[in-house]
This record gives sequence, structure tokens and C-alpha cells, in this order.
Amino acid sequence: MGECNVIKKDRNSVINPLVTCQPMGAMYAVAGIRRGLPLVHGSQGCSTFVRYSFSRHFREPSEIAVTSLHEDAAVFGGRRNLISGLGNLAVRFKPDLIGAISTCSSEIIGDDMVGFIKIAKEEMTQKMGEKEAESIKIIPISTPSFVDSHFRGYDNAIKALVDNLAEEPTESNNKVNIIPGMVNPGDTREIKHILALMGIEGIILTDISDTFDSPLRPSATEFRPFYPKGGTTVGEISDSSNSLGSISLCNYSGSAAKSLEKKYDVPSSLGPIPIGVQNTDQFLRNLKKYTDLEIPEALLDERGLLMDSMADLVSRYLFGRTVAIYGDPAISAGIARFVCELGMVPSVVCTGVESKEFEEEMKKVSKESDGPVDMLVGSDLRALETRLQEEPVDLMIGHSDGRLFAKNLEIPLIRVGYPVYDRAGYHRVPIVGYNGGINLIDRITNTVFENFYDAEHWKLQQ
Amino acid sequence: MMLSTGSYSSKCMQKEMGHIQNNKPFNNLFLHNKTAGADEIQIDDSIIKTLGERKKHMCIKKGNDSSPACNKASIPGTVTQRSCVYGGARVVLMPVTDAIHLVHGPIGCAACTWDIRGSRSSDDDLYKSGFSTNLEEKDIVFGGENKLLETIIELNKLYNPAAIFVYSTCVVGLIGDDLKSVAKKASELTKCRVIPVQSEGFRAVNKSLGHQLACDAMLDYLIGSGEVKNPSKYDMNIVGEFNVAGDLWDIKPLFKNIGVNVLCAITGDSKVEDIAAAHMAKLNVVQCQKSSNYLAARMEEKYGIPFLKVNFFGIEETSNSLRNVAKFFHDPGMIKKTEKLIESEIWRIRAEISKYREKLTGKKVAVYVGGNKAWSLIRAFEELGMEVIMTGTQNGLPEDYERIRETVKDGTLVVDDANSMELARLLKKYKPDLIVSGAKEKYLSLKLGIPFCDFNHDRISSFAGFQGFINFAKEVDRAVSSPVWNLTPKKCSGVKENAG
Repeated sequence: MGECNVIKKDRNSVINPLVTCQPMGAMYAVAGIRRGLPLVHGSQGCSTFVRYSFSRHFREPSEIAVTSLHEDAAVFGGRRNLISGLGNLAVRFKPDLIGAISTCSSEIIGDDMVGFIKIAKEEMTQKMGEKEAESIKIIPISTPSFVDSHFRGYDNAIKALVDNLAEEPTESNNKVNIIPGMVNPGDTREIKHILALMGIEGIILTDISDTFDSPLRPSATEFRPFYPKGGTTVGEISDSSNSLGSISLCNYSGSAAKSLEKKYDVPSSLGPIPIGVQNTDQFLRNLKKYTDLEIPEALLDERGLLMDSMADLVSRYLFGRTVAIYGDPAISAGIARFVCELGMVPSVVCTGVESKEFEEEMKKVSKESDGPVDMLVGSDLRALETRLQEEPVDLMIGHSDGRLFAKNLEIPLIRVGYPVYDRAGYHRVPIVGYNGGINLIDRITNTVFENFYDAEHWKLQQ
Repeated sequence: MMLSTGSYSSKCMQKEMGHIQNNKPFNNLFLHNKTAGADEIQIDDSIIKTLGERKKHMCIKKGNDSSPACNKASIPGTVTQRSCVYGGARVVLMPVTDAIHLVHGPIGCAACTWDIRGSRSSDDDLYKSGFSTNLEEKDIVFGGENKLLETIIELNKLYNPAAIFVYSTCVVGLIGDDLKSVAKKASELTKCRVIPVQSEGFRAVNKSLGHQLACDAMLDYLIGSGEVKNPSKYDMNIVGEFNVAGDLWDIKPLFKNIGVNVLCAITGDSKVEDIAAAHMAKLNVVQCQKSSNYLAARMEEKYGIPFLKVNFFGIEETSNSLRNVAKFFHDPGMIKKTEKLIESEIWRIRAEISKYREKLTGKKVAVYVGGNKAWSLIRAFEELGMEVIMTGTQNGLPEDYERIRETVKDGTLVVDDANSMELARLLKKYKPDLIVSGAKEKYLSLKLGIPFCDFNHDRISSFAGFQGFINFAKEVDRAVSSPVWNLTPKKCSGVKENAG
């Protein structure tokens, strides 16, 4: 049983950040809605740099509009920008939903987004007619950039969507709400695959699997690629109050599920993200709890395949190795538990946020660890780098931003999470579910092969 | 002037080059600009349907009187390709390698912009790290000046950097932190150069002001404060060259060859002390005339350093740029060396270039970029036999469109601040064989089936000078000739689908 040390950053400055600000998380959330568009109420950089980041990770276009706040708005308020922005977006894109996302500027200026949206709606009704204006849902999402991180922004956005759209429950839809968190398209697809094997219909809040991984099929259709196929429909979100239960996969994304529980008695559970054997077992138990359905043979086989690769690889190649894990607080905690299952030690787990949920989850994980676990919270990559300079580990698991110091410290880096811009296809390959476990164990073991074994004597080492 | 198709002979090339130069001597020198007819311009609905107020931002070049309206605020509620003032300042200063670039603002402004420019360094890599004061709610309420001061002192202790650039963001402008006085105090306490950059994101309609503010920061706090140990009469700065993908390293040897000493590039692969001594140069040449004309003009004003506009993209432009520099120094030996260098370089690359030229002749190109490339690439494409049918910028000023107008042929579509929907419509309408743009436009165009070539911060091959032109041709060929385009319904034609 490993001890768990919580270590906070001992600096004012943030050096090589592990988090960005709230609006980015909200853009991520709205991007998972069918014919949905984020409208950022802020400066142009607020949307542009996030689009840039999405492009690099997903290798997909992303349509994020902005109200282009300038100096006059800073003095007189952003009322005109938001109202005309909503109008222009509605007329030109005819979306099903606009997520109006606040920023540091608009929050400090004190723009009344809810009030402005009302006025915009009235203008739209006059211009487009009641029916068409009514078909466009506009959701205010408050994401002050100077509070917390993009994970909070994601959580706020999903909650705003559900709070604004979920209708009074009528009768059960026999569905389960899934709030995936800021996972990849491949992960969401894997979750949908598990639901399908279980025979469950899910409402994914929200589903970026097809909107951030779309086929290249050029067509003459006017609006593509603005509206890729897929995404969660507004109707599905409205229906989320009729579901059997809600599962938030990530320890930071539970607010919407809590809200549905409080308002409409939809039971909910929070995390852990189904990475590795036990966390996936837990996810299936949650699904079973809400639906009363049995775990099918096919899933037991998938579990068996993961067990099989663990039996093949763990003791020979992985056991006892120390790992540093960083990035997303939910994914990091999930991977930490999985590496324990692989007989490895999550010596350092580092995240940019300070959260009770993360710390609690990590305390449980450290009980399964064979060695002590240092938990770096509210931290940054510089703190991780310094820690690893003092006490090196065998492997690092995290996103691409750690690549430079990983190389300097000569620690092999296994890429997971967001952003990964220096490998191909990682957004498509799941790390959740039993299949994701298999992908992860292969990725980890192959890295071990490349870095710790002598290729010339390969046959002998088998 | 186009180079002949097929095989080159050195003499023929040289003759053509000479001819070009005789026709337009000093065509790279500073030109005074006027805005022409922008108010009457209106793009026709048959070319693109767009919002009324956007119509004057696009035009078909015809004769000498067509430039689109520009430098106006983007319409709220569009998917703009533009950035903010902070972004503009950040990209200009980011390549200063031995400095800390500290962003005073909420975490996002630093988190989204560290290590995003492919400016390469031959030594220090401090510039690749992201530093933030991480302004939080309590700082918004009580002010962030103390936090900033403490952060600067802390970072100075940790890194002992050559300078700390402190960037202002939207929030700082709104809460009213006095960046200059904190920087002054911090400078006194740390003995480190602390340089405030007043780049509040919302200060202007696009990032052009950010470029200027970055130049102001260098002019006010850096340039003129150091000195060169062994000055020579052939000392020159290359202004507005950011060493993206190592461009500078293709240019520098050319100047070394003809006997010009590159004192400093501002800011590619530069060190703080190099920039501090940049005022001792005898000449400034300006590569990125979008971001850095202002700096060169101010240095002329302040230190009497004359400047030449240069362009190292393409054979003709590179050759003329070298010639103009040699001519400036009035050294017959240098002029002779320059002609010899141009001749031998063209001879060296001719076979490879004609190979690409054969494959690329007749292909149509669209250019949509943030900077000077909207005009500086036109000749380079013509040298590959390609035709530029559309060009434009996200943030051009009247003088930028003037330059475009001078460079492009009649019939070329010129666009200003095209948003993503307009871009997509234009790409569908014009069906170019290639679009040259940046990361945000990359996947938009690929999804439409249009081959893409990155000519922005993200590219990995240097494109400048003679060697860079080969890389450029190679990269263009890779994009255009990719077998994937034989397997997809090319350029959005032929396949009918329902709306997604």
C-alpha cells in the first residue's frame, strides 16, 4: 500500500501550463452538438487560439464564432456585439443551437448575457419569423476565464445545456445519460460500442465523436463542412430528464448530472473514468444498476482479451516500473489506477487543477500502488520537470506538451489525452473500456520494448 | 516576368533576371501608398453571396484602381480567421530566444500561445516555455500589480534571463494594472531588462496593432541600449525575419558570401543583446513588411538607418533583394560577387526547379494568409508556372492591398478578412489546385478536397532563399500531387450528397 503525498506548487508563476481557461472547455462541449455553434463573447484571440489548438489535435476544421470585442465594447459594454453576433450567426448558419460563451472581458465588463439573448431573440423573431427564430436555441454559458480551468468550463457548459434544455419529465425513455468529459472521439465511440453491446440507448452529453472526426467526402452541399454529421441533437438533451440515470465519466464533469438528479430525480454517478479493468467494471456495474440489464458475453470476452494481454505482458516487461502521469485530472487518475493493475507504480501524478474529487480518487488509487504516490495539484509542467530531474521515473504518460523535457530527461513519453499533436491518429484510438485498456497496454509495452530492450537479441527476450 | 518552361540555361536565366531588374529598378524600395477606390468596390453576387457590409471587402483586380476595403472590425458572429492584438505582439517577439515571455493575464492567454511558432533557435530555448501570472478572481478584484511584481522577481531568480517581456492582456486593460510602472520597479529590483508590451487583446480590430506595439517595446526599451564589439561598414539587420523553419539560416549564408555582415535578425533566432545593439547597423532590410516596416521606419527616424524592402521567396525576388543590398553598399566587388552568387545558385537549382515546374505548370493557387505573403509569394508561384487566382489577408492595411494590387494580374480575386464561410464558398467556386494558408484553414480546405500547403508558423521546411525555393517547390508538389486526390471526388464536384 503506497502512501500518498499531496504537493502544491510553491511558486506564483505558472510555467508551461497544464490547463487553459474556461471558455475552451465550453467550446469543446458545444462542438459536440448537432448543428451547434459556439459563439465566444470576447476578443478574437479567444476563439482563434482555441480553433488553432483543436485543429492541431483533431486534424479537423472547427467552426467557432466570436463577437469580436474591441475597445468601444470595453467602455460601453458588449451588448451590440452579442446581439448582432447572434443575429448574424442565426441568419447565415441556421444552427439548431448557439452556445453563447462568456470570457474574462465580457464577465468583467459585466455584460448581461441572459438579457442580451432575450433581445436578440426578439430581433430574430422580427427578421426571421417566429417559427424559425424559435427553432434556434441560444444557451448562455458563463465561463469566466479567471476562475479555475477549462475542465470547469466544460462542466459549466454541459450544465448550462441541460439546465436550459431538459424538459419536465414525461415518461421514462429507457436511456442512460453519459457525460463523457473532455475525452477523444475514439473514446466516445468506445463508450457507444459498450452501450450497444449492453443493449442500452445512450444520450451522450455531448458527442464529439463524429463532429471532431469526420470523413472526407467533398460535396456540393452548401453548409459542409460547417456541420459535420453526428453530434447530440437538441431533442436528446431535452429528453435527458426522462433517462434512467446519468453517468459522468470524469471527476470534473458531474454538475449537469447532479442538476438532473436534484430537479428531476434522475439518479447519477460520478466517475471514475473507465480506464483499465476495475474502472471499466465499475462503469458496467453503473450501467447495470440503472438498466437492470445483464453484462453480455461479448463484453466479458472483451474483458478476457484485456486480461489475456495483461497476463502475456505484465510480469515480463512492465512490473515494477515507475511512471509519471500528467494532464487531465480524470484521465490521469484513471491511468494511475490502470498502471497499478499492470504492476507498475504511479510515482508522480500531476495535474493543473486543485480538486477534491481528484484528490479523493487518487487517495483510493494510491492504496493499490506498490510504492508511494506524489500527487502534484494546481501544478504545471515545470514543477513536474523539476520533480523528475530530482527523482527520475521509467516512463511518462501524458499529452504532447511534455515532449520537450521528456526528451531532455531521456524519459520515454507515452502520449495520451489532449493535446496530442505530434502523433497521428491518437484522437481516434480509444483508451477507455476494455478495448481501450488493450490499446494502452500495447502502447506502453511497445514503448518499453523500444527503450529498454536490445533489438538484436529480440528472439531470446521473448 | 515568367521564367521559361522546360530546361534552363544559365545565360538565359541571367538575361531574364537582368531584364526584370532593368524594367523595375528598386521595385522593392519603399513606396508611398494611397488607398484607391475602396469605397466603390462591391463584389458581385455571382462570385460570392455574403453579407452586404462584407461585399466591399472583396474585389476582382482590374487595372490600377481596385483594392478592397480593409482594416475594419470583423462582423460579430462570424468565424473570423483573425487574432487579437496580444497575439500579434506575441508572434513578433516570441522568437527572441534568451528572454522570458511572461503573459500577465488569465491562464488561457499563455496556455494557448506558448511554443506555437516554428521559429527555430541555434542556441537558447527559453523562449519555448510558457509563463503566466495566472490572474484569478481575487486579482481581478484587488488588482494584479503585486502578483506581477512578485512573479517577475521569482522568474528572474529561477532563470536569470537576458530580459523579461511582460505582455498585457484584455483583463489587464480592464482592471487597469499599470504595467509600465511595475516593469520599471521590477527592473530596478532585479537588474534584469523588464520590457512591458501594452498588448491588450481588444485594443484594435486585428493583430496589426500588436505587431506595432511589439516594435514599440523593442524601440523604447531595447534597441540603442547595447553595442557591437567589432562594428564594420557592412553591418546589416534583417528586420521582420522570424526564422520560421530556419528561413534565416538559408538567407544568412547568401549575405556572408557577398560580404555583408548580418548583425541581427529581428527577431528570428535573436538574443536580447543583439537587438539592443541593432541601432549600430548601416542598413535594415525588411522581410515581413506586414509586421516590421514600422520598426524600420522608426529606426531610420531615430538612428538614421536607411532601409530596403526585400523578399526572399522565389528566385527573382531573392536575386533582386541581394542586388539591391549590394547596390546600397556601393561596393563594386560586392556587386560582382553578388552577380556571381546569383548565377551559380540559379545554375545549381535549375534542374530541380524545372522538374517541379513541369509538374506544376498551369495549376491554380489561392493564397490566404496573415501577413506579407499575400503578395510576396505571387512571383514565386509564377516561377513554378502556377497561377495565383485568389489572394488575401486576415489583417491587411491599405498599403498591403496596394502591394497586392501591384503584384497580381488582372482578374485575380482579392479578399480581406474572409471568414470561414466565405473562404469555403470561394474555394468551392474557384476550385483552386492548391491553397496556401495557415493551420486554421488547413482542415477546412482539405475537407473541401482542396490540397493545402502551410506557409505559416507551423511549417517545417524553410522556404527562403534559393535552397528554400527548392523546399518550397517540393512542398507545393507534395500537396498538389498527393495520390489521395486521385481517390476522392476531387474539388467538390461530381458527387451529390444530402446536407449533413
